[in-house]
Amino acid sequence: MAQPEPSATAIFYRNLGWLRFVDRFGRKGSQTVEYLGGLFQMIGETIAASVSRPFYSGELVNEMDELGVKSLAITGLTAFVTGAVLAIQTAYSLEAFGGKQFIGRIVSLSLVRELGPILTALMVAGRVGSGITAELGSMTVTEQVDALRSMAISPIRRLVVPRVLAVVFMMPVLTAIADVLGIIGGLGIAVTSIGMTVQDYITSIWQQLAISDIFSGLGKTVFFGFEIAAIGCYNGLQVEGGAAAVGRSTTRTVVLASISILVSDFFLTKLFLAF
Amino acid sequence: MSTAVSPAEVTQARAARRGEVIVEFKEVWKTYSGRDILAGVNLQIRRGEVLCVLGPSGTGKSVTLRHINGLTRPDAGDVIVFGESIVALSEEELSPVRRRLAMLFQGGALFDSMNVEDNIAFPVREHTEKTPAEVSRIVAETLNMVGLPGIQRKMPSELSGGMRKRVALARSISLEPEVILYDEPTTGLDPVSSEKIAQLIVDVNHRLQTTSVVVTHDIVTARTVSTRVAFLHQGRFQFIGTFDEATSSSSPLLRDYFRAMGFPCGTGVFQAVPKGD
Repeated sequence: MAQPEPSATAIFYRNLGWLRFVDRFGRKGSQTVEYLGGLFQMIGETIAASVSRPFYSGELVNEMDELGVKSLAITGLTAFVTGAVLAIQTAYSLEAFGGKQFIGRIVSLSLVRELGPILTALMVAGRVGSGITAELGSMTVTEQVDALRSMAISPIRRLVVPRVLAVVFMMPVLTAIADVLGIIGGLGIAVTSIGMTVQDYITSIWQQLAISDIFSGLGKTVFFGFEIAAIGCYNGLQVEGGAAAVGRSTTRTVVLASISILVSDFFLTKLFLAF
Repeated sequence: MSTAVSPAEVTQARAARRGEVIVEFKEVWKTYSGRDILAGVNLQIRRGEVLCVLGPSGTGKSVTLRHINGLTRPDAGDVIVFGESIVALSEEELSPVRRRLAMLFQGGALFDSMNVEDNIAFPVREHTEKTPAEVSRIVAETLNMVGLPGIQRKMPSELSGGMRKRVALARSISLEPEVILYDEPTTGLDPVSSEKIAQLIVDVNHRLQTTSVVVTHDIVTARTVSTRVAFLHQGRFQFIGTFDEATSSSSPLLRDYFRAMGFPCGTGVFQAVPKGD
């Protein structure tokens, strides 16, 4: 016997889960497009504002100190410890092949090309990106950003440009210092635990490291810095509501900035290898 | 504003033009989350007056105020400020209009990273070429005017709610604006502080010959400061007139509102309390 045709209502309910999924996916998609549209619009305005007057150089110096110099301890420590751990792990892996003399090369190359930039960027995303969102978010919910606008002062010029430029300028500096400290961390282990001389360690680094390695590592951090500050500022200015919303935006900044750093690292590495 | 013109001449010139329409809303619509907050608002604000915008909470009083300096843009309709439509202007193009206006925000919106002096001096340093000595004099004068002399070095976190609003008012008047927009100036303050703020609004309006738009749900303040009141309900102004006309109105809407606020119309309550001016 033939089955009766299912009614339209039955078909609707059978597909409800699927429809809900499509609905949720569509909403999420449109929110993402809206978010990216707003972010890129702010980036465009920021670039335009950073090449025209008025320019807040005092604010820029303050932010370079606040966001850059004060991050030195955490980025330096991270690199120093990573350099030391890298030396221990490399010695452990190469021991069987008698390749301990390569420790200096491996540690320095890994740090300068990849680990120095990426770890510094991730630490800065955690410390500076979240700080920017929390500060601008609090200013937004307490109407301080509206107060600026009502006084005919552009929040982009006054708040965003100095922060973005400060992080962009300071990232290569922080990374260069982190690279040096990481290599010193590796040196400490090479000399004290592995039995290399300081001379051997440094010579092996000199033989390996090229200017292009340093340029590739530091060049990437300019882009990382821009991503961190732009995402931090945008999320701060978009906060709606109260303290809880500021907290959520801060978390969002750290997550998005970290993902953005890791994904862009892949493409930037390829790009710099092409040159 | 030319530096050759003295402040006294500016106020005289403003006084001479009292009564002209300087802000006009034409059929302004604004929707939030599918709800019409403003549904065809029409309003004219005249130079020199203190217009109080009254109405129940959530009816769009603050939204109306934020349309005047372009912090919020309408979905439809036109807002004309100083003879120029501002709805299609970019943020950059709005700057000349915004420099002639000042806004006092509900929480004061003082910059918490700066002390009182830097807060008040902020718009002066941004928009004028005055020397540090002149800026300090302006800060001292405006602080005197709001009754808080000598607190230049204090941080906003050290001030009470009422003091914060008075410092915010000092910042608003530091550039001698033509129009001051007050968003709930007495909300959250005790009656004594509210009275002080209300008196300051009247003083500032008189001394600087400014025009004031005061959004409030504080009937006592409205009574003290207003030359006219505008009653916003369901997205439109249902009444515009003097405070006394409002309280003696036969409109059930207004009667219900004043009764709900604890001031029943026609009971003689308003007549019994002497007016603050």
